[in-house]
Amino acid sequence: MNVNAVSAVFQRVLENPEVRADSDFFVMGGDSLLATRVLSAIARTSGVELDFDDFLDAPTPSALAKKIASAGQDVNRA
Amino acid sequence: MFYPHDLMNDFAGAVGRHPDRPAIAYNGRTLTYSQLHAWARATGRRLGPRPGVVGVLASRSPATVAALLGILAAGGTYVPIDPAYPWPRRRALMSASGCATLIPPTDSTEPTEPGVRLVDLPSHAAEAGRVTAETDAVVVAGDDPAYILFTSGSTGAPKPVVTPRRAIAVVTGALRELFGLAPEDRVLQFASLNWDTCFEEILPTLTTGATLVFHDHAHSGSFHRMLRMIAAERITVLDLPSAFWHELVRHLVDEGATLPACVRLVVIGGEAVSAARLADWRALDTGGIRLVNTYGCTETTLITHAIDLHGPLAARGAGERVPTEPAAGGVRERVPMGRPLPHVRQHLGEDGELLVGGPSLALGYRGLPEATAERFVEVGSERYFRTGDRVGLAADGTLTHEGRLDHELKIRGIRVDPGEVEAQISGHPRVGAVAVAGVTVADHTTLAAYIVAGRPADGDTTTVPGRSADDDATLAADVRDYLRDRVPCHLVPSRITVVPELVYTASGKVDRAGSHRRYASATV
Repeated sequence: MNVNAVSAVFQRVLENPEVRADSDFFVMGGDSLLATRVLSAIARTSGVELDFDDFLDAPTPSALAKKIASAGQDVNRA
Repeated sequence: MFYPHDLMNDFAGAVGRHPDRPAIAYNGRTLTYSQLHAWARATGRRLGPRPGVVGVLASRSPATVAALLGILAAGGTYVPIDPAYPWPRRRALMSASGCATLIPPTDSTEPTEPGVRLVDLPSHAAEAGRVTAETDAVVVAGDDPAYILFTSGSTGAPKPVVTPRRAIAVVTGALRELFGLAPEDRVLQFASLNWDTCFEEILPTLTTGATLVFHDHAHSGSFHRMLRMIAAERITVLDLPSAFWHELVRHLVDEGATLPACVRLVVIGGEAVSAARLADWRALDTGGIRLVNTYGCTETTLITHAIDLHGPLAARGAGERVPTEPAAGGVRERVPMGRPLPHVRQHLGEDGELLVGGPSLALGYRGLPEATAERFVEVGSERYFRTGDRVGLAADGTLTHEGRLDHELKIRGIRVDPGEVEAQISGHPRVGAVAVAGVTVADHTTLAAYIVAGRPADGDTTTVPGRSADDDATLAADVRDYLRDRVPCHLVPSRITVVPELVYTASGKVDRAGSHRRYASATV
């Protein structure tokens, strides 16, 4: 998933079209429950199962896309 | 010696019947009933008889359960203190509850508080084999306080609710019946150990001879991991906040999946159940699973009302007949919150307020006689708790929730008085005025705060002229950090917006909903 795809998930879950690549999910109204929707959508689309700690660590579309990419490589190598 | 119906007698009974069954499973290991009993008694002996109010820095681990049982065995009063809370909040909770003794986490360097005794939990391995048949010397009564938990208070300080031993014994028995628990059951430990919902999981399970299962994947945020864990651990009972269950149902619908076949009972509660998610659940292949909606307040102890919404026993209740499509005119049907359990007395006030009486009532709010007198009232010669919930009563005896009589909100199932959040934010030196409203974002309720910048020097509440958007963003971030240092995360608004002025009512009070309506579109 690239940055745009992750931004689209944020927009849908937050019901807010003004998500940018550097928008922090938890500052834009996201909480732990809405976070589960993002994590489920990422797992469904990319096959990468991230958890809350990953998301708190990378709360923006750009950071999360990087995390998905590196986790995806680990999955492929394993 | 406990009074005849004490909870600890029920626990001892389960230990006697099932000494070698697993009481707790965690990280692939188990504690048997006799091991847990020994650990709890060792803890009780270390505390000494009648230790008073004992705070426990309650991490999610079997040690916290041993501490709870040990405190009750010693005749003390359990107070969970969330180790994740900021230190000022923990200190306020300890002070408000009269906590004289603190059990820190096993690996902690907890700051000491003058006058508070620190008692380390004995290690399970060291104490397991050392219990003798000595008689516990402590004598307890049904009116003795068993635990103290906190609800949100409008003044900015949480209100300590004191629950007697009688209440937890009566309710634990009622919940064993409601859940139909058997020793074969494996109950997932899901609720935070710092809220009373966890007692719904712990106490009926451990007085039945069933197994309480701790697992990290219950809380990872990944439903994929959680569902695999439920199957691998052969979980039979889930007790989930309604808001979390809503997300679970969405996930199952999106995945075209259902719950693992080992699950027989799903208990939900904490806030109103979405009719749309209930319709989704019924459309999934969940017919063999009991879905039970529950209602209760901390002041009336865990659960007072329940109803089967779906599954094998739903025909006995009214839940199955409730239409789940929006009715004509767009008015959404309300999902019933339940009928009173056998131990509950109920009374409907003139304004439709639900009053709850019976043996499960709390003793009151510690140190707050006025707040106690306001909410615990006499009807006839009986004592009742005013819930603040407006309810409707159907012909078949089921209640529906029609709203609140005050401004209290439910944030992820936790009661929040917006006045408490406003009082905390007002403590920030650069905030002149504040309004906190509950807003529904994407199908669930979160907090939004609207703040007006004030002059720090004289406390003037007029807007500082010439402020830029950057100043506003800095102040909003600053207020967020300020709150995170002082209050639990459920009291930190998801959205904090600096605005030029608030909306006021004709009588000059801050209009929370009006302020939200004016600025909601600008909140991005």
